Amino acid sequence: MTDLERLDPPAAAAALRATPDGARGFLGVDPVTQNDMAIAGELTRLGAHVFRRGQALLGFVPNSEQPRQATVATTSADPDLMTEFLTFLGSYQRCTSYVAMVPSGSAAESTFNGCGFHRTGTLRGHRYQTGQYQDVHVYFATVGDLCRS
Amino acid sequence: MSFVTLRHFTLDDIAARTGLLRETRFQANLTDFAVSTADDALLANQRRTIAEEHHVKQIFTLCGPNDETVGFAWITTIDWRSQSCELSFGVLPKFRGGFGITAVRAALHYLRSELNMQVIINQVLDHNTMLQSAESLAAASRVRCEFDSYTVGQWRTAMFWTDTEDDARIQDLKVAQRRRDLAERIRAKANQAS
Repeated sequence: MTDLERLDPPAAAAALRATPDGARGFLGVDPVTQNDMAIAGELTRLGAHVFRRGQALLGFVPNSEQPRQATVATTSADPDLMTEFLTFLGSYQRCTSYVAMVPSGSAAESTFNGCGFHRTGTLRGHRYQTGQYQDVHVYFATVGDLCRS
Repeated sequence: MSFVTLRHFTLDDIAARTGLLRETRFQANLTDFAVSTADDALLANQRRTIAEEHHVKQIFTLCGPNDETVGFAWITTIDWRSQSCELSFGVLPKFRGGFGITAVRAALHYLRSELNMQVIINQVLDHNTMLQSAESLAAASRVRCEFDSYTVGQWRTAMFWTDTEDDARIQDLKVAQRRRDLAERIRAKANQAS
């Protein structure tokens, strides 16, 4: 996955704003309710890494308690793109397991369903968006799960 | 679709808002602190709000149908736990009278549907008709406070009221009823003509 463009936090914030619907909930940030500086600050605080590939944004946050695990996010509905990204994380971060927090009904649901993740739980009413509380699904995958996908 | 939309206030908007803060009618109607504040201090103040104060104060740019800036709204005294905040508006001079109610409606809708605010507190000085008529202010006002503030050489009286979920529901019902009445009148005229 050599054509990943790494974005620094301000550039990532601007890119997330340019895809507002797909970016809502991306690594926990929200361009609708946060300004760009707040998003950049939150991404910095999290230690998040955001990349662009074509129109899609992909990101990960290493788990500080378990550095070989990462929380991942995408604005794309393409599972193949996520599979490639996870392969990249395996190669360069030595990640062996992945977590994703996916707002119910978002395009990213089909992404994680399609690349070997298991839905391990649902946080009921975890987010508030467009006038209603929204469930957030927790997805999990290990390297082995991805190989079978 | 609303005639007015909100977006987050950015560094590029600071010059326009600074101009508004220095405008005479704005100073009389809201606050005149900008008279005795240096340009670089106003700039730094607004930059700090954008960069560091997002959790306690937020500024929004109000945009007209062609995305032109028509004014600003800002929320202060944000209480996330109680889901309440205070809402203020400043409209650029050339757009006054044109977007008042739609700007208010757009801001209230955003605060409810995205920030999950349940109670929105309004404070308007009673001579301030930049956004709403004196009649609508008088109808909305629930608390009247004389000698609330001193702007441009005069003591001002402030009027306070809140907008709650129930108020929003009632307002939505009224708007829907007005639309039905209008549609009915149009249908009746069309039937007469045919």
